[in-house]
Amino acid sequence: MTLTGEELYKQRLRRFDDVVALKKPDRVPVVPLACGYFADLWKGYSYKDAGYNHPQHYAAIKDATIEFGWDLSPMNSLFAADGYEALGTTQLRWPGGALPDDMGFQFVEDEYMKADEYDEFLSDPNGFTVRKIFPRIAANLAGFEQVPLPPLYFLANTYYLLNVGGPLLGAPPIRQALEALLKMSDAVGAYFAADAATGAELAELGYPRAVAAPIIPPFDMVSDMLRSLRGSTLDMYRHPDKLLGAIDLMEKAQIGLALMLIQVTGNPRVFIPMHRGAGGFMSDAQFEKFYWPSFKNLVLAIIEAGGVPCPLFEGDYTPRLKYLAELPPGKIAGHFDKIDRLKFKEVLGDKMAFWGNVPLSLMCTGSPQQVKDDVRELVNLFSDTGALMLDSVTGIPDEAKPECVTALREAADEYGVY
Amino acid sequence: MSKELTDAIVGMREDEALALVKQELAAGADPVAVLEDAKAAMTELGRLFECEQAFIPELIMGGEIMRGISEELKPHLKGTGEAGTRGAVVIGTVQGDIHDIGKDIVVMMLDINGYDVHDLGVDVSGEQFTAAIREHDAKIVGLSGLLTLAFDSMKTIIEDIVAAGLRDQVKIMVGGAPADVQVQEYTGADGWGNDVGQALKLAAEWTGGAA
Repeated sequence: MTLTGEELYKQRLRRFDDVVALKKPDRVPVVPLACGYFADLWKGYSYKDAGYNHPQHYAAIKDATIEFGWDLSPMNSLFAADGYEALGTTQLRWPGGALPDDMGFQFVEDEYMKADEYDEFLSDPNGFTVRKIFPRIAANLAGFEQVPLPPLYFLANTYYLLNVGGPLLGAPPIRQALEALLKMSDAVGAYFAADAATGAELAELGYPRAVAAPIIPPFDMVSDMLRSLRGSTLDMYRHPDKLLGAIDLMEKAQIGLALMLIQVTGNPRVFIPMHRGAGGFMSDAQFEKFYWPSFKNLVLAIIEAGGVPCPLFEGDYTPRLKYLAELPPGKIAGHFDKIDRLKFKEVLGDKMAFWGNVPLSLMCTGSPQQVKDDVRELVNLFSDTGALMLDSVTGIPDEAKPECVTALREAADEYGVY
Repeated sequence: MSKELTDAIVGMREDEALALVKQELAAGADPVAVLEDAKAAMTELGRLFECEQAFIPELIMGGEIMRGISEELKPHLKGTGEAGTRGAVVIGTVQGDIHDIGKDIVVMMLDINGYDVHDLGVDVSGEQFTAAIREHDAKIVGLSGLLTLAFDSMKTIIEDIVAAGLRDQVKIMVGGAPADVQVQEYTGADGWGNDVGQALKLAAEWTGGAA
């Protein structure tokens, strides 16, 4: 019997939902969390094209989803390179920008906010972002620094809006920055149009989208994006209260963004990439003080809004399992990078779905049989509950061998039919 | 030896550590001995990291306190550059990858543990590695990478080292979050590591000493 697209959609989504609810599905689902360059490289496109040619990039992800037999279609993890270009982005390097055409984009971590700027940031986060951060992450937004901008509330009357705001907007550096923002917005508009079109085609064919765009945990918003690992680390010792103040600000913003995303996309599965909370990156005492409370609040808020938090626990979270056990059972799809599988099963086996964990090295340099052996080990470990979904550690790695990606699905059919 | 200074650094008490250094110098202490005490603290932090009682923040903050102490001591040390005694290490993030947080921590700890470390930075080619091995007569090579594209880059660099006829003179470690024994075998390296502890252990093994 051939199922319709709608029936397939329901069947595949059911597999995901069953696993999250700790119920055994009909088969272990194969769900790549995200896809960056893999589908493009498999198609023979360049890294550069992947970032610039949005319809082609999304079509490649669609084709890969069908070809490799994924149950849900991965989130696209590349952003619009023409958007970076419009801004003169300096916080990332990308093929077609400063990088050669055959290299993937990379984030440039730096102290975009200095330690002595916390007070300014905390007292006027919006103004600080426009005047200080924008020019530091994007060359074409330098105008916001060159022209002394009054606080926005100063313009809260027609008199100043016209007579102060008007000339300000006419100042060439400000105009140039605003034009760069509008140009970026156009590029991103075309990118999201391609995203929506492919999403609709995939849905019609019976493939739900795995997760919606990332919600970065509050601590990582400060550490990754503003202060850098070194900066945020020193802040834990030198300015702990200011660091906590910034985390608090980010928590409110990230919860708001997560709830908005669920509403706007209609996709309840919220991707939360986690970086600096991994084992080794801080002590338990620091984790309890700086990382866990705001992350937990974010996860609980998503669950309360009817969403399914999908944290990607990057790094080794084995030492943090005891904390994860505090989260409500049967509500979270935990995607794991390096983790002691046996220990996970022991501590969280009856509480949280286990997703991912097939090593990057196997997908990129191993044989299909090695991938299958690894999947068999996972399936055997979780065969009692079936609370398992297959993927590599951060979605399908860019340089994965296509035959190893095929092996993921073949292994699901061979070992994972319950 | 000032246990007070060592304790202050291990305890992450930055102000106290710096005040102690000033105090000791004012009292006529030998600056070389003060530096040795500070280094002993970093070695202790490395040991605590190994047994999971200290973590990356302690290493970074320890390095920062160490930097402050070195600044303080600089005018008192008579410009005698300290040579590494345990052999030269050439290290860098491999071509195509620009991640350096992990590599920098490894560089700092190898340096403190007495190796003559030559950090080639990020996006380093095989040619740059082989030139540096020759120039410094290196015994150990560290290839670092975070991205999956680094696997092929590491492999190519090791092939370049072989082609340059230098493979027998060096032991090579591959490191970074995705490194494992599979990556070691794929690239043709002699060892692998995910953290600074593993790097120190390999370096010690290869130079015939204790970590």
